[in-house]
Amino acid sequence: MIFKIIKNDFKRKKIVTAAVFVFITMAVILGASATNIISNLIQSMSELKAHAVPADIAQMHAGKFDQSGIDKFTQDQSEHIALQETMVLLSIDGRDIHFGNNQTMVGTVQDISFVVQNRKFDFILDLNNEKLDIRKGELAVPIYFMEVYNLKLGDTITLDSKGYRKEFIISEYARDYEMNAPLTSSKRFVVNQSDYDEMIEKQTGELEYLIEFRLKENGDSQVVQTAYIDAGLPANGPTVGGELFLLFNALSDAAIAMIIILISFLLVIIASLCIQLTFLATIDEDLKEIGVMKAMGISRKDIKKVYLNKYRIMSAAAGIIGYLLSFIVVNLFNGNMRLYISSELSGNLKYVLSLIAPVVVYLMIVLYCQKVLRKVDKISAVEALRSDIMERGKKRKYSFPLLSNRLFTINIYMGLRDVWKRFKLYRLLIFIFIACTFIVILPLNIYNTMNSPEFSTYMGIGKCDMRIDLRKTDTITADFARLQEDLENDPDIEKYAAYITCSYQVKNAEGSWDYILIETGDFSVFPLEYLEGRAPERAREISISFANASTDGLNKKVGDDVVVRASGIDKTFKVCGIYQDITNGGKTAKADASLGLNEESVLWYIVNINTTPGVDIRNKMEYFQNAYHSAQVNDIKEYTQQTLGNMIDQLGVIAIGGIAIALIIVVLITSLFLKMLLSKDGSQIAIMRSMGLTTQNIKNQYTAGTLSVLVLGIILGVVASDFLGEIMVSAAMSSMGAARIQFVNIAWQTWLLCPLALIAVVGITISLSCKVAVEEDLSVVLRS
Amino acid sequence: MNTILETRSLNKKVELGKNNELHILKDVDLMIEKGEFVSVMGPSGSGKSTLLYNGSGMDRMTSGSVKFKGLEISGMKEEELAKIRLSSMGFIFQDINLLKNLSLIDNVMFPALVSKDADKKAVHQKAKKLLEMTGIEKLADNNITQASGGQLQRAGICRALINDPDILFGDEPTGALDSKSASEILSILAEINKKGTTIMLVTHDVKVAAKTERILFMVDGNIVAEKKMGKFDSLRDDIMEREEILIKWLMENGF
Ligand SMILES: Nc1ncnc2c1ncn2[C@@H]1O[C@H](COP(=O)(O)OP(=O)(O)O)[C@@H](O)[C@H]1O
Ligand SMILES: [Mg+2]
Repeated sequence: MIFKIIKNDFKRKKIVTAAVFVFITMAVILGASATNIISNLIQSMSELKAHAVPADIAQMHAGKFDQSGIDKFTQDQSEHIALQETMVLLSIDGRDIHFGNNQTMVGTVQDISFVVQNRKFDFILDLNNEKLDIRKGELAVPIYFMEVYNLKLGDTITLDSKGYRKEFIISEYARDYEMNAPLTSSKRFVVNQSDYDEMIEKQTGELEYLIEFRLKENGDSQVVQTAYIDAGLPANGPTVGGELFLLFNALSDAAIAMIIILISFLLVIIASLCIQLTFLATIDEDLKEIGVMKAMGISRKDIKKVYLNKYRIMSAAAGIIGYLLSFIVVNLFNGNMRLYISSELSGNLKYVLSLIAPVVVYLMIVLYCQKVLRKVDKISAVEALRSDIMERGKKRKYSFPLLSNRLFTINIYMGLRDVWKRFKLYRLLIFIFIACTFIVILPLNIYNTMNSPEFSTYMGIGKCDMRIDLRKTDTITADFARLQEDLENDPDIEKYAAYITCSYQVKNAEGSWDYILIETGDFSVFPLEYLEGRAPERAREISISFANASTDGLNKKVGDDVVVRASGIDKTFKVCGIYQDITNGGKTAKADASLGLNEESVLWYIVNINTTPGVDIRNKMEYFQNAYHSAQVNDIKEYTQQTLGNMIDQLGVIAIGGIAIALIIVVLITSLFLKMLLSKDGSQIAIMRSMGLTTQNIKNQYTAGTLSVLVLGIILGVVASDFLGEIMVSAAMSSMGAARIQFVNIAWQTWLLCPLALIAVVGITISLSCKVAVEEDLSVVLRS
Repeated sequence: MNTILETRSLNKKVELGKNNELHILKDVDLMIEKGEFVSVMGPSGSGKSTLLYNGSGMDRMTSGSVKFKGLEISGMKEEELAKIRLSSMGFIFQDINLLKNLSLIDNVMFPALVSKDADKKAVHQKAKKLLEMTGIEKLADNNITQASGGQLQRAGICRALINDPDILFGDEPTGALDSKSASEILSILAEINKKGTTIMLVTHDVKVAAKTERILFMVDGNIVAEKKMGKFDSLRDDIMEREEILIKWLMENGF
């Protein structure tokens, strides 16, 4: 009997049932995909880490090097240090690496080096997370370059340096835990030992040393680092700790994953809104039916059973289907992760964690049903038979009488006032439109922001036309002097400023010494936007990056003192400002030139340049690139492009994906919403038609209503993604060093293109799905 | 005389499933003259309502011809039919079919406001007059949940009349009302008919039919008999007598 009733109910409400089913399935698919991504990220990150065995402390060094001192240090610190290995990097100029049709890697912001696989730890892996084992004549290319230069396995890479020429066949992708991320500005190519020896012999490139330590389980990283400095061991390059690798590695993935999860989360919200919508749309009918059943003498308990079972069956089926489908759908989202972190993503954590989604959705629905049924309990059979229970008891004052309308045609007015009268129903649609707009606008805003020259603000760089990077070479000091002279005499240069970054020691919150990168120079030429305070202007002033100012950095505020040790002398500086910087792990500082250089550890020279108006920047860049071989010449946009390159590209994909997802959802939900609304309103529509309204008239009413809801949703959505989005992105980015992101809004996109696209799509959807059934005899609905 | 509605060999069949067809109207021929007050009687399920809906173009007939004011409506497009309904036909139902979100007076005015060049003031005046005539002017601004069945049915009549239809169709409009309200509604209908509006009423209530001018008797999809009784005049005619005559006639025809 009960089964028969359920079957009948399914049959009677085919469309609505299908809609509910689709919504529940969608909720499960997206929820499961989201949990799938999270569990994949957790599991494959730790798996990658387990295979790669990264260093806990890594110290870069260029110049004189003696391993025996380090061996002794390792011995002395055996309480903390488990393993030590020094990787000798053969750093190669990008212009010397040729590929494809006469292309070179000139202009990359990445430092390129050729290495052989370590023996003890810090392994570079292939796409199966196996240790790379490269044969003679072959090499493994970092995934970053494979993507940026679109290289394929089997392509040829030619090294052509100072008359020495060597060809390599690309045999593998190199997945490099320590240097995967574009933000890590070094990339390692892996070659065979014999090729490497040959290159060393022929003196291609400069040697750099990556002195790596792996700590014991309870080894103290801070102690080892301090001891290392105190021992005066080679250290004229940046020091990188274990967490920073994790951060860098997960950075672009985590940022992307966060956006995807955010989208998935929004989709889950949308899906649950849909379920609620369905309930609202069918409740009148359901209540009527419950009344009939009560009148038939079926007990309350049985009625409850009928309803609960109906939705139980539905959500269980949807849960299973959605759960299974999520494993296909998730592939849309995790391409980057599969490339950079794990090709297999084979962990079984995801199978378990993804189960959360169907279970939660199932419980949500059953609980909601119970809530509804509790309400039903209070309604007597007779009352339930009399429809319009939802309208009962509301003695609101009559609003929007027809005659007060002066602006619209009667049908448009009817549509608009319907939205007002049944706001509870349309409200859900508004939320859905807001969420969809959010999904479209947020990635777009982030994409535009990262793609804009303004983004340099978050990289600690003042806005300028061009930037020349001089990296550590034997001739760096001479080159730097020559460059400055050049710039002074060049009429094409409007203004320039030179900055020198050295590594210093700084007294941290605990009173011990840490390394800190400090840039010195004149910061008034290319002003940077400060979070707080201002740039250093006077002697003994220092400004620090947001990450440095924070509690897990130096924990300083504007006005606090900072003690810096330069060339063995301690100097006290006053913090005059805090700025945002996501480069170099977010921990940088800028000081007045009075700090003096730490000759031992000059890391790089940077010159920011503005050309005089009318000068072709491209030409000028080319000129400097040719004049200074060791230099990297970029415009700021290019600089951000390369550093954040694949993140920006992926964001582009996500932005487009977001638009696609949002459009699909909007189309699906709008059409389902209208289907439900029209079937719910069947009798009202029939009444209007019997009065002589054409189907077009009625269609106009619903179109006006839904479109007004759409416009409202879009406006709210755009505003929300601008303000809320900024807050959310800033919160997410603050761990990276940018605490106050301001979106660069490309107005025609956010305010015109996207809304118009949404309106157009929804408009078409409405006009297609707002089909008032005409074939049907009118009387079927009207007579009882 | 002037024929307003004419059906010829009107057939209506409904598909109930595969090879299962229900033949509801069987070659019905019917003529209604302008100004007539006609009622259709017959046992439940005989096709009375179906005749009303197919004759008025609300439903699609299966075959045959229906002429409304001389115009063939069987092949008309949905929009044309809607236009005719809007301007020339009024409907009242057993279920009170008012729009939920409109007040009584807005329900009444709505069909008049649909045409683009509606004169709002005039429509408002007219609606008020109609409400007055049916005695519910005090409830004009009430929601439909704040009125009784009889009051709502009066509003329904007002709505049907707002565009001055040529003909008023009623499908058991008094069926759900108590006898007092029913007789009041019928007086209103008679009043309207007196002013020239043709009325076609489906009913199984002898009391109602006795107040109409011409009674058709339907059995199993056919009009099997009809009786002309002349217009009812409450001053002149004795209603009890008319009812008796009618009952007798119905019994003769096997009701
Ligand atoms: N759309 C329809 N589908 C199926 N059966 C119908 C339909 N319309 C009418 N009927 C059937 O046709 C017969 C006549 O209906 P109806 O005209 O409403 O009768 P009456 O109004 O005289 O009681 C009834 O048996 C009814 O069940
Ligand atoms: Mg009937």
